[in-house]
Amino acid sequence: MIARLRKADPVIVGLWIALVLVAIIWAAPFVFITLTAFKTRPDLIRTGSFGLPTTLAWENFTTAWDRANLSTTALNSAIIAFTKVPLGLFVSSLAAYALTRMRFRWQKALFLLFALGTMIPVQVALGPLFRLVLNLGLLNNYIGILLPYIAFGVPYQIFILRGFFQNIPRELDEAALMDGASHLDVYRRIILPLATPALAALFILDFVSTWNEFPMALVILQRQEAWTIPLSLQAFQGQFGNNYTEMNAAIVMAILPVIIVYMLFQRYFVSGLVAGAVKG
Amino acid sequence: MQQSLDTINTKSRQRNNEHIGLRRFIPMPFLLPALVIYAVFALYPMVNALELSFYDWDGVSVERNFVGVQNYIQIFTQDPVFWTAVKNSLIWVFLSLLVPTMVGMLLALALNQRIFGRTSLRAIFYLPAIIASIAVATIWGWMYNPILGVINASLKSLGMNSAIQDWLGDPKIALYSIFVAYVWQSSGVAMVLFLAGLQGVPEELKEAARVDGANNWQIFWHVIIACLRETFIVVIVLTIINSLKVFDLIVGMTSGGPGQSTQVLALWSYTQSFGLHDFGNGMAIAMVLLAITLIIVIPYLIWTSREGSK
Repeated sequence: MIARLRKADPVIVGLWIALVLVAIIWAAPFVFITLTAFKTRPDLIRTGSFGLPTTLAWENFTTAWDRANLSTTALNSAIIAFTKVPLGLFVSSLAAYALTRMRFRWQKALFLLFALGTMIPVQVALGPLFRLVLNLGLLNNYIGILLPYIAFGVPYQIFILRGFFQNIPRELDEAALMDGASHLDVYRRIILPLATPALAALFILDFVSTWNEFPMALVILQRQEAWTIPLSLQAFQGQFGNNYTEMNAAIVMAILPVIIVYMLFQRYFVSGLVAGAVKG
Repeated sequence: MQQSLDTINTKSRQRNNEHIGLRRFIPMPFLLPALVIYAVFALYPMVNALELSFYDWDGVSVERNFVGVQNYIQIFTQDPVFWTAVKNSLIWVFLSLLVPTMVGMLLALALNQRIFGRTSLRAIFYLPAIIASIAVATIWGWMYNPILGVINASLKSLGMNSAIQDWLGDPKIALYSIFVAYVWQSSGVAMVLFLAGLQGVPEELKEAARVDGANNWQIFWHVIIACLRETFIVVIVLTIINSLKVFDLIVGMTSGGPGQSTQVLALWSYTQSFGLHDFGNGMAIAMVLLAITLIIVIPYLIWTSREGSK
Protein backbone atom coordinates (compact mmCIF):
# COMPACT_ATOMS: atom_id res chain seq x y z
CA MET A 1 0.00 0.00 0.00
CA ILE A 2 2.64 2.47 1.09
CA ALA A 3 4.90 1.35 -1.73
CA ARG A 4 2.17 1.96 -4.28
CA LEU A 5 1.39 5.38 -2.85
CA ARG A 6 5.04 6.29 -3.05
CA LYS A 7 5.21 5.22 -6.64
CA ALA A 8 2.40 7.56 -7.57
CA ASP A 9 3.69 10.39 -5.38
CA PRO A 10 4.31 13.35 -7.72
CA VAL A 11 6.96 14.72 -5.33
CA ILE A 12 8.98 11.54 -5.67
CA VAL A 13 8.58 11.57 -9.46
CA GLY A 14 9.74 15.19 -9.61
CA LEU A 15 12.65 14.37 -7.34
CA TRP A 16 13.61 11.46 -9.54
CA ILE A 17 13.62 13.62 -12.68
CA ALA A 18 15.74 16.26 -10.92
CA LEU A 19 18.19 13.60 -9.76
CA VAL A 20 18.53 12.12 -13.22
CA LEU A 21 19.24 15.57 -14.67
CA VAL A 22 21.95 16.20 -12.07
CA ALA A 23 23.36 12.73 -12.72
CA ILE A 24 23.61 13.55 -16.43
CA ILE A 25 25.57 16.70 -15.60
CA TRP A 26 27.78 14.67 -13.27
CA ALA A 27 28.51 12.06 -15.91
CA ALA A 28 28.95 14.57 -18.74
CA PRO A 29 32.70 15.22 -18.25
CA PHE A 30 33.38 11.49 -18.68
CA VAL A 31 31.36 11.49 -21.88
CA PHE A 32 33.21 14.52 -23.27
CA ILE A 33 36.69 13.14 -22.64
CA THR A 34 35.72 9.80 -24.17
CA LEU A 35 34.23 11.48 -27.24
CA THR A 36 37.31 13.64 -27.69
CA ALA A 37 39.64 10.70 -27.19
CA PHE A 38 38.13 8.92 -30.18
CA LYS A 39 38.22 11.83 -32.62
CA THR A 40 40.81 12.65 -35.20
CA ARG A 41 42.12 16.18 -35.08
CA PRO A 42 40.16 17.46 -38.10
CA ASP A 43 37.14 15.67 -36.70
CA LEU A 44 37.52 17.56 -33.44
CA ILE A 45 37.69 20.93 -35.19
CA ARG A 46 34.67 20.05 -37.32
CA THR A 47 32.40 18.43 -34.73
CA GLY A 48 33.44 20.44 -31.69
CA SER A 49 33.00 19.04 -28.23
CA PHE A 50 29.52 17.58 -28.52
CA GLY A 51 29.40 15.71 -31.77
CA LEU A 52 30.06 12.02 -32.13
CA PRO A 53 33.34 11.05 -33.77
CA THR A 54 32.90 10.18 -37.46
CA THR A 55 35.56 7.48 -37.25
CA LEU A 56 37.03 5.84 -34.18
CA ALA A 57 40.60 7.13 -33.93
CA TRP A 58 42.13 4.25 -31.96
CA GLU A 59 45.57 5.54 -32.91
CA ASN A 60 45.11 8.35 -30.37
CA PHE A 61 45.44 5.71 -27.69
CA THR A 62 48.54 4.08 -29.08
CA THR A 63 50.24 7.45 -29.66
CA ALA A 64 49.30 8.69 -26.20
CA TRP A 65 50.44 5.40 -24.68
CA ASP A 66 53.89 5.87 -26.21
CA ARG A 67 54.18 9.60 -25.58
CA ALA A 68 53.10 9.33 -21.95
CA ASN A 69 55.42 6.35 -21.67
CA LEU A 70 52.58 4.45 -20.08
CA SER A 71 54.25 1.04 -20.38
CA THR A 72 56.80 2.20 -17.84
CA THR A 73 54.62 4.43 -15.67
CA ALA A 74 51.71 1.98 -15.46
CA LEU A 75 54.15 -0.72 -14.44
CA ASN A 76 55.65 1.58 -11.80
CA SER A 77 52.20 2.48 -10.50
CA ALA A 78 51.20 -1.18 -10.35
CA ILE A 79 54.39 -2.32 -8.61
CA ILE A 80 54.16 0.48 -6.06
CA ALA A 81 50.46 -0.02 -5.34
CA PHE A 82 50.64 -3.82 -5.13
CA THR A 83 53.61 -3.63 -2.75
CA LYS A 84 52.53 -0.67 -0.66
CA VAL A 85 48.98 -1.77 0.06
CA PRO A 86 49.65 -5.26 1.53
CA LEU A 87 52.74 -4.09 3.40
CA GLY A 88 50.94 -1.10 4.83
CA LEU A 89 47.95 -3.19 5.87
CA PHE A 90 50.26 -5.72 7.49
CA VAL A 91 52.12 -3.24 9.70
CA SER A 92 48.92 -1.31 10.46
CA SER A 93 47.00 -4.40 11.47
CA LEU A 94 49.84 -5.50 13.76
CA ALA A 95 49.81 -2.10 15.45
CA ALA A 96 46.01 -2.04 15.65
CA TYR A 97 46.19 -5.47 17.28
CA ALA A 98 48.53 -4.18 19.97
CA LEU A 99 46.39 -1.09 20.47
CA THR A 100 43.24 -3.12 21.06
CA ARG A 101 44.39 -6.45 22.48
CA MET A 102 47.27 -5.53 24.78
CA ARG A 103 47.63 -3.16 27.67
CA PHE A 104 50.64 -0.93 27.99
CA ARG A 105 51.59 2.49 29.14
CA TRP A 106 50.90 5.47 26.85
CA GLN A 107 48.47 3.34 24.87
CA LYS A 108 45.89 6.08 24.41
CA ALA A 109 48.54 8.72 23.73
CA LEU A 110 50.11 6.50 21.11
CA PHE A 111 46.76 6.05 19.40
CA LEU A 112 46.18 9.80 19.36
CA LEU A 113 49.66 10.28 17.91
CA PHE A 114 48.71 7.97 15.07
CA ALA A 115 45.27 9.55 14.69
CA LEU A 116 46.87 12.97 14.35
CA GLY A 117 48.59 11.73 11.22
CA THR A 118 45.28 11.23 9.43
CA MET A 119 44.67 14.95 9.45
CA ILE A 120 47.94 16.73 8.77
CA PRO A 121 48.35 17.85 5.15
CA VAL A 122 51.25 16.00 3.56
CA GLN A 123 52.46 19.28 2.05
CA VAL A 124 53.68 20.31 5.50
CA ALA A 125 56.31 17.58 5.28
CA LEU A 126 57.19 17.58 1.57
CA GLY A 127 60.44 19.55 1.79
CA PRO A 128 62.04 17.60 4.64
CA LEU A 129 60.71 14.34 3.20
CA PHE A 130 62.53 15.08 -0.04
CA ARG A 131 65.75 15.80 1.88
CA LEU A 132 65.38 12.65 3.98
CA VAL A 133 64.87 10.38 0.97
CA LEU A 134 67.70 12.16 -0.86
CA ASN A 135 70.07 11.61 2.07
CA LEU A 136 69.12 7.94 2.21
CA GLY A 137 70.00 7.71 -1.49
CA LEU A 138 66.49 6.51 -2.32
CA LEU A 139 65.23 9.18 -4.73
CA ASN A 140 63.65 7.72 -7.88
CA ASN A 141 63.55 4.36 -6.18
CA TYR A 142 60.61 2.11 -5.28
CA ILE A 143 61.71 1.86 -1.65
CA GLY A 144 62.11 5.62 -1.46
CA ILE A 145 58.46 6.15 -2.30
CA LEU A 146 57.09 3.06 -0.53
CA LEU A 147 58.31 4.07 2.92
CA PRO A 148 56.68 7.54 2.92
CA TYR A 149 53.54 6.06 1.38
CA ILE A 150 53.31 3.50 4.18
CA ALA A 151 54.09 6.16 6.78
CA PHE A 152 51.28 8.42 5.60
CA GLY A 153 48.86 5.50 5.14
CA VAL A 154 49.43 3.87 8.52
CA PRO A 155 47.43 6.42 10.59
CA TYR A 156 44.23 6.06 8.61
CA GLN A 157 44.47 2.28 8.51
CA ILE A 158 45.21 1.97 12.21
CA PHE A 159 42.29 4.27 12.90
CA ILE A 160 39.86 2.07 10.99
CA LEU A 161 41.28 -1.31 11.98
CA ARG A 162 41.32 -0.36 15.65
CA GLY A 163 37.63 0.47 15.43
CA PHE A 164 36.96 -2.85 13.75
CA PHE A 165 39.11 -4.96 16.09
CA GLN A 166 37.39 -3.43 19.11
CA ASN A 167 34.12 -4.93 17.94
CA ILE A 168 35.55 -8.46 17.79
CA PRO A 169 34.52 -10.19 21.05
CA ARG A 170 37.42 -10.54 23.44
CA GLU A 171 36.23 -13.90 24.76
CA LEU A 172 37.57 -15.55 21.62
CA ASP A 173 41.16 -14.49 22.00
CA GLU A 174 41.16 -14.65 25.80
CA ALA A 175 40.18 -18.30 25.57
CA ALA A 176 42.91 -18.93 23.03
CA LEU A 177 45.51 -17.15 25.16
CA MET A 178 44.46 -19.24 28.18
CA ASP A 179 45.06 -22.34 26.10
CA GLY A 180 48.60 -21.22 25.54
CA ALA A 181 48.30 -19.54 22.16
CA SER A 182 50.69 -16.68 21.55
CA HIS A 183 49.59 -13.20 20.54
CA LEU A 184 50.91 -13.90 17.07
CA ASP A 185 48.62 -16.95 16.86
CA VAL A 186 45.62 -14.92 17.99
CA TYR A 187 46.45 -12.19 15.47
CA ARG A 188 46.86 -14.65 12.64
CA ARG A 189 44.20 -17.24 13.42
CA ILE A 190 41.43 -15.21 15.03
CA ILE A 191 41.64 -11.48 14.44
CA LEU A 192 42.75 -11.35 10.81
CA PRO A 193 40.19 -13.86 9.52
CA LEU A 194 37.39 -12.07 11.35
CA ALA A 195 38.57 -8.70 10.05
CA THR A 196 38.52 -9.75 6.40
CA PRO A 197 35.67 -7.37 5.43
CA ALA A 198 37.52 -4.37 6.89
CA LEU A 199 40.80 -5.46 5.34
CA ALA A 200 39.14 -5.88 1.95
CA ALA A 201 37.58 -2.42 2.11
CA LEU A 202 40.90 -0.89 3.15
CA PHE A 203 42.73 -2.76 0.43
CA ILE A 204 40.50 -1.28 -2.27
CA LEU A 205 40.46 2.25 -0.86
CA ASP A 206 44.18 2.26 -0.28
CA PHE A 207 44.88 0.83 -3.70
CA VAL A 208 43.00 3.66 -5.35
CA SER A 209 44.54 6.41 -3.24
CA THR A 210 48.03 5.01 -3.80
CA TRP A 211 47.38 4.80 -7.52
CA ASN A 212 46.21 8.43 -7.52
CA GLU A 213 48.82 9.93 -5.19
CA PHE A 214 50.54 13.00 -6.59
CA PRO A 215 52.42 15.37 -4.21
CA MET A 216 54.84 12.86 -2.67
CA ALA A 217 55.52 11.23 -6.03
CA LEU A 218 56.20 14.70 -7.43
CA VAL A 219 59.11 15.36 -5.08
CA ILE A 220 60.51 11.84 -4.76
CA LEU A 221 60.14 10.39 -8.26
CA GLN A 222 61.88 13.00 -10.35
CA ARG A 223 63.35 10.91 -13.14
CA GLN A 224 61.04 9.96 -15.95
CA GLU A 225 61.75 6.23 -15.64
CA ALA A 226 60.48 6.34 -12.07
CA TRP A 227 57.24 8.22 -12.74
CA THR A 228 53.82 6.96 -11.80
CA ILE A 229 50.67 7.53 -13.86
CA PRO A 230 49.62 10.85 -12.28
CA LEU A 231 53.09 12.28 -12.91
CA SER A 232 53.10 11.23 -16.54
CA LEU A 233 49.60 12.59 -17.03
CA GLN A 234 50.66 15.95 -15.60
CA ALA A 235 53.79 15.99 -17.78
CA PHE A 236 51.80 14.99 -20.84
CA GLN A 237 49.48 17.91 -20.26
CA GLY A 238 52.48 20.25 -20.08
CA GLN A 239 54.22 18.89 -23.16
CA PHE A 240 51.48 17.76 -25.49
CA GLY A 241 48.55 19.62 -23.98
CA ASN A 242 47.64 21.02 -27.38
CA ASN A 243 47.18 17.57 -28.85
CA TYR A 244 43.73 17.50 -27.34
CA THR A 245 42.63 14.20 -28.80
CA GLU A 246 45.70 12.33 -27.58
CA MET A 247 45.60 14.06 -24.23
CA ASN A 248 42.04 12.88 -23.69
CA ALA A 249 43.05 9.39 -24.74
CA ALA A 250 45.77 9.57 -22.08
CA ILE A 251 43.24 10.68 -19.47
CA VAL A 252 40.89 7.83 -20.37
CA MET A 253 43.68 5.28 -20.06
CA ALA A 254 44.88 6.79 -16.79
CA ILE A 255 41.50 6.65 -15.07
CA LEU A 256 40.17 3.42 -16.57
CA PRO A 257 41.89 1.04 -14.10
CA VAL A 258 40.43 2.77 -11.04
CA ILE A 259 37.01 3.01 -12.63
CA ILE A 260 37.07 -0.74 -13.26
CA VAL A 261 38.17 -1.38 -9.69
CA TYR A 262 35.37 0.91 -8.53
CA MET A 263 32.73 -0.86 -10.62
CA LEU A 264 33.82 -4.26 -9.34
CA PHE A 265 34.14 -3.39 -5.67
CA GLN A 266 31.68 -0.53 -5.26
CA ARG A 267 30.25 -1.56 -1.93
CA TYR A 268 33.68 -1.64 -0.32
CA PHE A 269 34.29 2.00 -1.15
CA VAL A 270 31.25 3.12 0.72
CA SER A 271 31.75 0.86 3.72
CA GLY A 272 35.42 1.83 3.99
CA LEU A 273 34.78 5.52 3.70
CA VAL A 274 31.99 5.47 6.24
CA ALA A 275 33.90 3.32 8.71
CA GLY A 276 36.80 5.73 8.57
CA ALA A 277 34.76 8.83 9.06
CA VAL A 278 31.98 7.96 11.42
CA LYS A 279 33.36 5.37 13.80
CA GLY A 280 35.84 6.82 16.31
CA MET B 1 43.63 -35.68 41.36
CA GLN B 2 44.12 -32.78 43.74
CA GLN B 3 47.82 -32.96 43.20
CA SER B 4 47.60 -32.81 39.43
CA LEU B 5 45.26 -29.82 39.67
CA ASP B 6 47.82 -28.13 41.89
CA THR B 7 50.58 -28.70 39.37
CA ILE B 8 48.41 -27.24 36.65
CA ASN B 9 47.65 -24.22 38.80
CA THR B 10 51.31 -23.68 39.60
CA LYS B 11 52.19 -24.02 35.97
CA SER B 12 49.63 -21.52 34.84
CA ARG B 13 50.64 -19.15 37.63
CA GLN B 14 54.21 -19.41 36.45
CA ARG B 15 53.12 -18.63 32.95
CA ASN B 16 51.10 -15.66 34.18
CA ASN B 17 54.14 -14.40 36.04
CA GLU B 18 56.18 -14.69 32.91
CA HIS B 19 53.49 -12.80 31.09
CA ILE B 20 53.57 -9.98 33.61
CA GLY B 21 57.33 -9.82 33.47
CA LEU B 22 57.37 -9.71 29.69
CA ARG B 23 54.25 -7.63 29.32
CA ARG B 24 56.15 -4.46 28.72
CA PHE B 25 57.97 -5.99 25.76
CA ILE B 26 55.24 -8.07 24.17
CA PRO B 27 53.56 -5.15 22.35
CA MET B 28 56.86 -4.05 20.85
CA PRO B 29 57.12 -6.38 17.86
CA PHE B 30 53.54 -5.54 16.98
CA LEU B 31 53.90 -1.80 17.35
CA LEU B 32 57.42 -1.17 16.17
CA PRO B 33 57.15 -1.63 12.39
CA ALA B 34 54.29 0.85 12.05
CA LEU B 35 55.66 3.20 14.68
CA VAL B 36 59.18 3.34 13.26
CA ILE B 37 58.05 3.97 9.68
CA TYR B 38 55.50 6.53 10.84
CA ALA B 39 57.99 8.29 13.10
CA VAL B 40 60.81 8.41 10.54
CA PHE B 41 58.87 9.21 7.37
CA ALA B 42 55.93 11.24 8.67
CA LEU B 43 56.55 12.70 12.12
CA TYR B 44 60.24 13.48 11.71
CA PRO B 45 59.73 15.44 8.46
CA MET B 46 57.07 17.54 10.18
CA VAL B 47 59.29 18.32 13.14
CA ASN B 48 62.16 18.90 10.75
CA ALA B 49 59.99 21.37 8.84
CA LEU B 50 59.56 23.38 12.03
CA GLU B 51 63.30 23.40 12.57
CA LEU B 52 64.09 24.37 8.99
CA SER B 53 61.63 27.24 9.14
CA PHE B 54 64.21 29.01 11.35
CA TYR B 55 67.01 28.69 8.80
CA ASP B 56 67.96 30.49 5.65
CA TRP B 57 68.59 27.63 3.25
CA ASP B 58 68.12 26.83 -0.43
CA GLY B 59 67.46 23.15 0.26
CA VAL B 60 70.49 22.04 -1.71
CA SER B 61 73.78 23.44 -0.38
CA VAL B 62 75.63 22.14 2.65
CA GLU B 63 75.61 25.50 4.36
CA ARG B 64 72.57 26.89 6.12
CA ASN B 65 72.21 29.83 8.47
CA PHE B 66 70.08 30.12 11.56
CA VAL B 67 67.98 33.26 11.19
CA GLY B 68 65.41 32.85 13.97
CA VAL B 69 61.95 34.08 13.04
CA GLN B 70 63.26 36.04 10.06
CA ASN B 71 61.50 33.77 7.55
CA TYR B 72 58.20 34.32 9.31
CA ILE B 73 58.71 38.09 9.33
CA GLN B 74 59.57 37.89 5.66
CA ILE B 75 56.49 35.96 4.60
CA PHE B 76 54.21 38.08 6.78
CA THR B 77 55.56 41.46 5.71
CA GLN B 78 57.29 41.13 2.34
CA ASP B 79 55.45 38.38 0.51
CA PRO B 80 52.17 39.53 -1.05
CA VAL B 81 51.69 36.07 -2.59
CA PHE B 82 51.61 34.58 0.90
CA TRP B 83 48.61 36.71 1.75
CA THR B 84 46.94 35.81 -1.56
CA ALA B 85 47.51 32.17 -0.63
CA VAL B 86 46.06 32.67 2.87
CA LYS B 87 43.06 34.45 1.41
CA ASN B 88 42.50 31.80 -1.27
CA SER B 89 42.87 28.94 1.22
CA LEU B 90 40.28 30.56 3.47
CA ILE B 91 37.94 31.25 0.53
CA TRP B 92 38.35 27.61 -0.45
CA VAL B 93 37.52 26.38 3.06
CA PHE B 94 34.51 28.67 3.28
CA LEU B 95 33.12 27.73 -0.14
CA SER B 96 33.75 24.03 0.51
CA LEU B 97 31.71 24.18 3.69
CA LEU B 98 28.95 25.81 1.71
CA VAL B 99 28.73 24.22 -1.72
CA PRO B 100 29.86 20.56 -1.88
CA THR B 101 28.52 19.97 1.61
CA MET B 102 25.10 21.30 0.68
CA VAL B 103 25.06 19.49 -2.66
CA GLY B 104 26.11 16.29 -0.89
CA MET B 105 23.42 16.67 1.73
CA LEU B 106 20.69 17.35 -0.82
CA LEU B 107 21.77 14.36 -2.88
CA ALA B 108 21.81 12.19 0.23
CA LEU B 109 18.34 13.32 1.30
CA ALA B 110 16.99 12.62 -2.18
CA LEU B 111 18.77 9.28 -2.54
CA ASN B 112 17.65 8.15 0.88
CA GLN B 113 14.13 7.86 -0.58
CA ARG B 114 13.09 4.63 -2.20
CA ILE B 115 13.76 5.75 -5.74
CA PHE B 116 14.21 3.82 -8.96
CA GLY B 117 17.88 3.23 -9.76
CA ARG B 118 19.26 4.86 -6.64
CA THR B 119 22.28 2.56 -6.45
CA SER B 120 23.39 3.60 -9.93
CA LEU B 121 22.69 7.25 -9.17
CA ARG B 122 24.83 7.07 -6.02
CA ALA B 123 27.59 5.40 -8.02
CA ILE B 124 27.58 8.21 -10.59
CA PHE B 125 27.79 10.96 -7.98
CA TYR B 126 30.63 9.24 -6.16
CA LEU B 127 32.59 8.33 -9.30
CA PRO B 128 34.57 11.62 -9.58
CA ALA B 129 35.86 11.12 -6.03
CA ILE B 130 37.79 7.98 -6.92
CA ILE B 131 39.75 9.20 -9.93
CA ALA B 132 43.09 10.97 -9.50
CA SER B 133 42.85 14.69 -8.75
CA ILE B 134 45.39 15.26 -11.47
CA ALA B 135 43.01 13.59 -13.92
CA VAL B 136 40.14 15.72 -12.63
CA ALA B 137 42.32 18.77 -13.27
CA THR B 138 43.14 17.62 -16.79
CA ILE B 139 39.52 16.83 -17.58
CA TRP B 140 38.32 20.24 -16.42
CA GLY B 141 41.25 22.00 -18.00
CA TRP B 142 40.06 20.56 -21.30
CA MET B 143 36.44 21.52 -20.68
CA TYR B 144 37.55 25.05 -19.81
CA ASN B 145 39.60 25.32 -23.00
CA PRO B 146 38.76 28.82 -24.31
CA ILE B 147 38.09 27.77 -27.91
CA LEU B 148 37.32 24.06 -28.15
CA GLY B 149 36.30 23.43 -24.56
CA VAL B 150 32.77 22.22 -24.00
CA ILE B 151 31.81 25.06 -21.69
CA ASN B 152 32.49 27.93 -24.03
CA ALA B 153 31.24 25.87 -26.95
CA SER B 154 27.89 25.32 -25.26
CA LEU B 155 27.62 28.98 -24.28
CA LYS B 156 28.26 29.89 -27.88
CA SER B 157 25.68 27.48 -29.26
CA LEU B 158 23.16 28.81 -26.73
CA GLY B 159 23.84 32.27 -28.09
CA MET B 160 25.26 33.50 -24.79
CA ASN B 161 28.41 34.94 -26.30
CA SER B 162 28.73 37.52 -23.52
CA ALA B 163 29.10 34.74 -20.94
CA ILE B 164 32.12 33.26 -22.70
CA GLN B 165 35.20 33.55 -20.49
CA ASP B 166 38.81 32.57 -20.37
CA TRP B 167 37.91 30.45 -17.34
CA LEU B 168 41.40 29.58 -16.19
CA GLY B 169 43.22 32.53 -17.76
CA ASP B 170 41.34 35.33 -16.08
CA PRO B 171 42.81 36.03 -12.63
CA LYS B 172 39.45 37.26 -11.36
CA ILE B 173 37.63 33.98 -11.92
CA ALA B 174 40.32 31.28 -12.21
CA LEU B 175 40.09 30.24 -8.56
CA TYR B 176 36.33 29.81 -8.78
CA SER B 177 36.64 27.87 -12.03
CA ILE B 178 38.95 25.41 -10.30
CA PHE B 179 36.55 25.30 -7.39
CA VAL B 180 33.74 24.12 -9.66
CA ALA B 181 35.87 21.08 -10.53
CA TYR B 182 36.35 20.54 -6.80
CA VAL B 183 32.58 20.60 -6.25
CA TRP B 184 32.23 17.95 -8.94
CA GLN B 185 34.94 15.88 -7.29
CA SER B 186 34.01 16.18 -3.63
CA SER B 187 30.21 16.38 -3.39
CA GLY B 188 29.96 12.60 -3.65
CA VAL B 189 32.08 12.17 -0.55
CA ALA B 190 29.77 14.40 1.48
CA MET B 191 26.81 12.52 0.00
CA VAL B 192 28.11 9.15 1.18
CA LEU B 193 28.79 10.47 4.68
CA PHE B 194 25.32 11.99 4.94
CA LEU B 195 23.71 8.81 3.58
CA ALA B 196 25.43 6.84 6.32
CA GLY B 197 24.20 9.37 8.88
CA LEU B 198 20.66 9.22 7.53
CA GLN B 199 20.61 5.45 7.82
CA GLY B 200 21.26 5.92 11.51
CA VAL B 201 18.08 7.96 12.01
CA PRO B 202 15.64 5.55 13.68
CA GLU B 203 12.44 5.01 11.69
CA GLU B 204 10.41 4.86 14.93
CA LEU B 205 11.44 8.39 15.80
CA LYS B 206 10.02 9.70 12.54
CA GLU B 207 6.84 7.67 13.03
CA ALA B 208 6.46 8.91 16.60
CA ALA B 209 6.81 12.51 15.45
CA ARG B 210 4.25 11.91 12.71
CA VAL B 211 1.80 10.40 15.22
CA ASP B 212 2.31 13.47 17.40
CA GLY B 213 1.16 15.60 14.48
CA ALA B 214 4.47 16.90 13.14
CA ASN B 215 4.46 17.88 9.46
CA ASN B 216 7.18 16.88 7.00
CA TRP B 217 9.17 20.04 7.52
CA GLN B 218 9.06 19.68 11.30
CA ILE B 219 10.16 16.05 11.02
CA PHE B 220 13.01 17.07 8.76
CA TRP B 221 14.17 19.84 11.04
CA HIS B 222 13.60 18.43 14.52
CA VAL B 223 14.17 14.74 13.92
CA ILE B 224 16.42 14.20 10.91
CA ILE B 225 18.72 17.19 11.23
CA ALA B 226 18.89 16.75 15.00
CA CYS B 227 19.97 13.12 14.57
CA LEU B 228 22.65 14.14 12.07
CA ARG B 229 24.56 16.28 14.58
CA GLU B 230 27.50 13.88 14.71
CA THR B 231 27.56 13.48 10.93
CA PHE B 232 27.66 17.25 10.55
CA ILE B 233 30.70 17.53 12.80
CA VAL B 234 32.52 14.78 10.87
CA VAL B 235 31.65 16.29 7.49
CA ILE B 236 32.67 19.79 8.56
CA VAL B 237 36.03 18.71 9.95
CA LEU B 238 36.82 16.48 6.97
CA THR B 239 35.79 19.25 4.57
CA ILE B 240 38.07 21.77 6.23
CA ILE B 241 41.02 19.37 6.32
CA ASN B 242 40.56 18.34 2.71
CA SER B 243 40.22 21.97 1.62
CA LEU B 244 43.54 22.85 3.19
CA LYS B 245 45.16 19.92 1.33
CA VAL B 246 44.03 21.06 -2.11
CA PHE B 247 47.12 20.89 -4.28
CA ASP B 248 46.85 18.52 -7.26
CA LEU B 249 43.84 20.29 -8.75
CA ILE B 250 45.58 23.65 -8.76
CA VAL B 251 48.91 22.28 -9.98
CA GLY B 252 47.07 20.50 -12.77
CA MET B 253 44.95 23.44 -13.88
CA THR B 254 46.89 26.67 -13.31
CA SER B 255 50.02 25.92 -11.22
CA GLY B 256 48.91 28.84 -9.06
CA GLY B 257 48.62 31.31 -11.91
CA PRO B 258 47.72 33.47 -13.70
CA GLY B 259 49.78 35.98 -11.78
CA GLN B 260 49.68 33.80 -8.62
CA SER B 261 45.95 34.48 -8.41
CA THR B 262 45.15 30.84 -7.59
CA GLN B 263 47.90 30.22 -5.05
CA VAL B 264 46.96 28.39 -1.87
CA LEU B 265 49.12 27.71 1.20
CA ALA B 266 49.89 24.08 0.39
CA LEU B 267 51.07 24.97 -3.11
CA TRP B 268 52.90 28.18 -2.18
CA SER B 269 54.93 26.28 0.42
CA TYR B 270 55.89 23.76 -2.27
CA THR B 271 56.65 26.49 -4.83
CA GLN B 272 58.88 28.41 -2.41
CA SER B 273 60.81 25.27 -1.44
CA PHE B 274 61.14 23.53 -4.78
CA GLY B 275 60.53 26.21 -7.37
CA LEU B 276 62.25 29.21 -5.80
CA HIS B 277 64.70 27.15 -3.70
CA ASP B 278 63.86 29.00 -0.52
CA PHE B 279 63.36 26.19 1.97
CA GLY B 280 63.25 28.61 4.91
CA ASN B 281 60.25 30.49 3.57
CA GLY B 282 58.66 27.30 2.27
CA MET B 283 58.83 25.69 5.70
CA ALA B 284 57.56 28.83 7.43
CA ILE B 285 54.51 28.73 5.14
CA ALA B 286 54.14 25.00 5.89
CA MET B 287 54.08 25.86 9.59
CA VAL B 288 51.29 28.38 9.04
CA LEU B 289 49.37 25.63 7.24
CA LEU B 290 50.09 23.22 10.08
CA ALA B 291 48.96 25.75 12.69
CA ILE B 292 45.66 26.35 10.90
CA THR B 293 45.13 22.59 10.62
CA LEU B 294 45.90 21.93 14.28
CA ILE B 295 43.52 24.65 15.45
CA ILE B 296 40.75 22.61 13.81
CA VAL B 297 42.03 19.09 14.39
CA ILE B 298 42.92 19.12 18.08
CA PRO B 299 39.43 19.98 19.38
CA TYR B 300 38.06 17.34 17.00
CA LEU B 301 40.46 14.66 18.26
CA ILE B 302 39.53 15.48 21.84
CA TRP B 303 35.86 15.22 20.89
CA THR B 304 36.24 11.86 19.11
CA SER B 305 38.32 10.31 21.86
CA ARG B 306 35.67 11.36 24.37
CA GLU B 307 32.85 9.99 22.20
CA GLY B 308 34.82 6.79 21.66
CA SER B 309 35.30 6.11 25.36
CA LYS B 310 31.61 6.59 26.12
